[in-house]
Amino acid sequence: MNRNIPSISKLNNLFLDKELKPSELFEQVYENASFTESILHAHLELFHDEGLENSKKSDERFLKGESLGKLDGIPIAIKDNINVYGYKTTCSSKMLSNYVSPYDATVIGMLKETGSTFTGKTNLDEFAMGSSTENSAYGPTKNPWNPDYVPGGSSGGSAAVVSAGSAVASLGSDTGGSIRQPASFCGVVGFKPTYGTVSRFGLIAFASSLDQIGPITNTVDDARIIFDNIQGYDPKDATSIKPQYTEPKNKKLKIGIIKELMQEGVSEDSQNEVNKVTQLLENSGHEVLETSLPLTEMALSVYYLIAPAECSANLSRFDGVRFGLREPASGSYEMMNKTRAVGFGEEVKKRILLGTYALSAGYFDEYYGRALKVRSKIISDFQKAFDDFDFLISPTTPSPAFKFGEKTENPLEMYLSDLCTIPANLAGLPAISIPTGLSDNNMPLSIQLMGKPCSDYSLLDLAESIEDMVSFNHLPKITKGDNES
Amino acid sequence: MSLKPTIGMETHVELDTESKMFCSCKVVETDEPNISLCPTCLGLPGALPVPNKKAIEYIVMLSLGANCSITKEGMFHRKNYFYPDLPKNYQISQFDFPVGVEGSLEIVIEDNLHTVAIERVHMEEDTGKSIHLGSGRIDSATSTLLDFNRSGVPLVEVVTKPIISSAKMAVAYIEELRQLVIDLGISKGKLEKGNLRFDANISVAEEGSDELGVKVEIKNMNSLKSLEKAIDYEILRQTKMVQDKESIIQETRHWDENKQVTLSMRTKEGSADYRYFSDPDLPNMVINDEFIEISQNQIKETPEKKRKTLLDTGLSLSDSNYLDKGQRWLYELYLSTVKETGDCKSTFNFLTGELQGQMRKAEISELPQWVNSEKLASLINLFENNEISFTSAKDILAKLLIEDIDPKSFASDNNLIQSSDNDEIKALVTLVINENQDIVERLENPEDKLVGFLVGQVMKSSESKVNPGSVKEVLLKELFG
Repeated sequence: MNRNIPSISKLNNLFLDKELKPSELFEQVYENASFTESILHAHLELFHDEGLENSKKSDERFLKGESLGKLDGIPIAIKDNINVYGYKTTCSSKMLSNYVSPYDATVIGMLKETGSTFTGKTNLDEFAMGSSTENSAYGPTKNPWNPDYVPGGSSGGSAAVVSAGSAVASLGSDTGGSIRQPASFCGVVGFKPTYGTVSRFGLIAFASSLDQIGPITNTVDDARIIFDNIQGYDPKDATSIKPQYTEPKNKKLKIGIIKELMQEGVSEDSQNEVNKVTQLLENSGHEVLETSLPLTEMALSVYYLIAPAECSANLSRFDGVRFGLREPASGSYEMMNKTRAVGFGEEVKKRILLGTYALSAGYFDEYYGRALKVRSKIISDFQKAFDDFDFLISPTTPSPAFKFGEKTENPLEMYLSDLCTIPANLAGLPAISIPTGLSDNNMPLSIQLMGKPCSDYSLLDLAESIEDMVSFNHLPKITKGDNES
Repeated sequence: MSLKPTIGMETHVELDTESKMFCSCKVVETDEPNISLCPTCLGLPGALPVPNKKAIEYIVMLSLGANCSITKEGMFHRKNYFYPDLPKNYQISQFDFPVGVEGSLEIVIEDNLHTVAIERVHMEEDTGKSIHLGSGRIDSATSTLLDFNRSGVPLVEVVTKPIISSAKMAVAYIEELRQLVIDLGISKGKLEKGNLRFDANISVAEEGSDELGVKVEIKNMNSLKSLEKAIDYEILRQTKMVQDKESIIQETRHWDENKQVTLSMRTKEGSADYRYFSDPDLPNMVINDEFIEISQNQIKETPEKKRKTLLDTGLSLSDSNYLDKGQRWLYELYLSTVKETGDCKSTFNFLTGELQGQMRKAEISELPQWVNSEKLASLINLFENNEISFTSAKDILAKLLIEDIDPKSFASDNNLIQSSDNDEIKALVTLVINENQDIVERLENPEDKLVGFLVGQVMKSSESKVNPGSVKEVLLKELFG
């Protein structure tokens, strides 16, 4: 097994120079996937035959000099809440164990145009609700750096496969950190674009106003290439925008450190990474100052009202009537009740109940209504901050990856692992997590950068320069964990 | 104790758009189930709604036609409830920011004009259709069949204030609303197809009281006859309950056509909690001045405008309203014909009585193309000027409906023109008097019924070719001087 996967640009050059064939690359990542799968359980399905067939088509295109671009022949894994025509899309739920999608998500259609190859569907917390993949109905994914640790979530499978070399890149979805937090736990790059720049059509909704598809990759440039190929206005998504991307005014950037994410509750390890990067940024002539966004402390509470409220309606369609699981019963309502009781896992049920409660007559104003008001204040706070700063920096997570079971007993602890990532979802901002170092127990640590809406490309540029400066080039040694022996 | 009923109407209007409200599936009218579906209107995971601009234009037209103010920044909300034919188990609807608010419709009852205040006009999507086998009801069905062709068809809900006071008024209101959507061209308006479906909220309270009684909702009717009977029945039922000092419970009932009664469907404890919240899949519905103007310009006709045009020709309010609610061609034919006859009443009577009657009898729904206002006006003028008898007019019309004839030349060619020549009439009258001496002797005064008999005898001997009015005149002169 060769875990060391070159960047997409390098791979493209190897293909163009006929030093490597896309099908050879596909076989290599497939071998990695097969080798690691019994340890990691990162996939729900592997697409060997069709993947190989597709990559052979790429071989021919390169042979004829008709390649479709940088993604031609690049093996990409897809989070299993994104619909791929003709394949199962389970959302890691029993509810959809037999559900085969009759259509492609917009991003899938766009990737198919690029000539890239899908390696398979990756594991996630059921319906993307969770921070560890422990909520998957098909069993958790393990962290490639140490299988005793969680890979993060909800896109834990998508982060693990990139980290393990089982795909060159993957797609994840990010509602409160579900791309960035697992990317951070697995030592890879995770990018959540500006809300509306990447179509949500075909992404099975968790919380529609927060959900965003994005790439998980080995390098920032890889993330840029994937983003470039999946962004753009989609007439099938009414919340999709026609983005006008912005550039910072000066080359010398002004970057703000969010004070509220550098205090108690955030581990020293995580804070140190931010300080390390701050030093490097200052050394290269940028200005880095502390700034306060006081409402950041409210973000978690706001998120845990808005996201469950939206999910309570979004998940109503899973009723056994038209598709998916159907539990036998004597009447329609009994069938729906039984199906939902059996089909949904505990975390999903908890959030549906929470959201239903927050929207109920008599409680709406107190909970959901108030959360919306605070959300708009958070948005205007960010707008003010971006009057002063080009970008904001913080740790991606309050601590590196934790062990299985460590936080399952205490949901609040679990929810806190999204403390730093949630604000960007509430405000629709682009945000990226890049690995910068290792903790004492050899688990990856990351920093997060946030930009104003539609600053995606310049945010990626800054992330890339930090990537160069920190030159994080560690790879996980994938072995069975202590619990496995 | 005198009780007065108060009624509020909620009407769903199915818009006649090409495609559905939030996807590009065609709106189809067919009994073949589940042929116009896509991931969006079937509520498949991951599918998203995109609003139909035409439907928004239509609802703005309807709001303007119902004299509403337009909400410039509207919102779509999710109305949450579980039902097998509601694919997402929430309906995309509108809650506190409907498209149209505070409007009114003029309605006509007999010869009086009333105003019905409109509270709101909002946009939503239709559900699929359920067929509950075994019992017709979801809770006792042996199985349920689902057809999602209707799922996602654009619906507009028009809600009145609770100010309707009788079944007749409710019927007149629905007739006016139906005509409005037809004249605007935004719905087929066919009641039998369920293009309009209405719920009536009914309560009774003491005359003079400011407070309304407990309301009962009769759901989902689509015939005016049922609506009228159901409201009348419900008013009686509630009145009797109040008089018997029974308390009325807030509930939903339905009209049982077979038993001719309203029956309880379910009891509402307080109001149902639909947990409305703004749909995060849909941005705010911005309706700017330009869009309103575009919609306004699409409005060519409304029943109110048509009624004014008809009143201007001299017709009574009830006759105007009759033509207003009738078929479009009849309305247009009346207007062009009355221009030539100058006589609104006889034109109205001839077209709505004779013409429609003969067409019904001959089972033709469309006028032959040669039948135009010019020919009809000439026919109306012929008998109005006593040049032909009414019987001849009827015969000529019957001929005209099957053959392209000119009424006037047909009348003279076929010897139908009545003579008003006094000498000829005098000769005939003299003859009849001589032949009927026994009757003439029994005559006491000019009002005697036997005068009519003698006029008839003259007409008979002339083979109806003389004008009966002139005959009577000459006869009376001869007999009484």
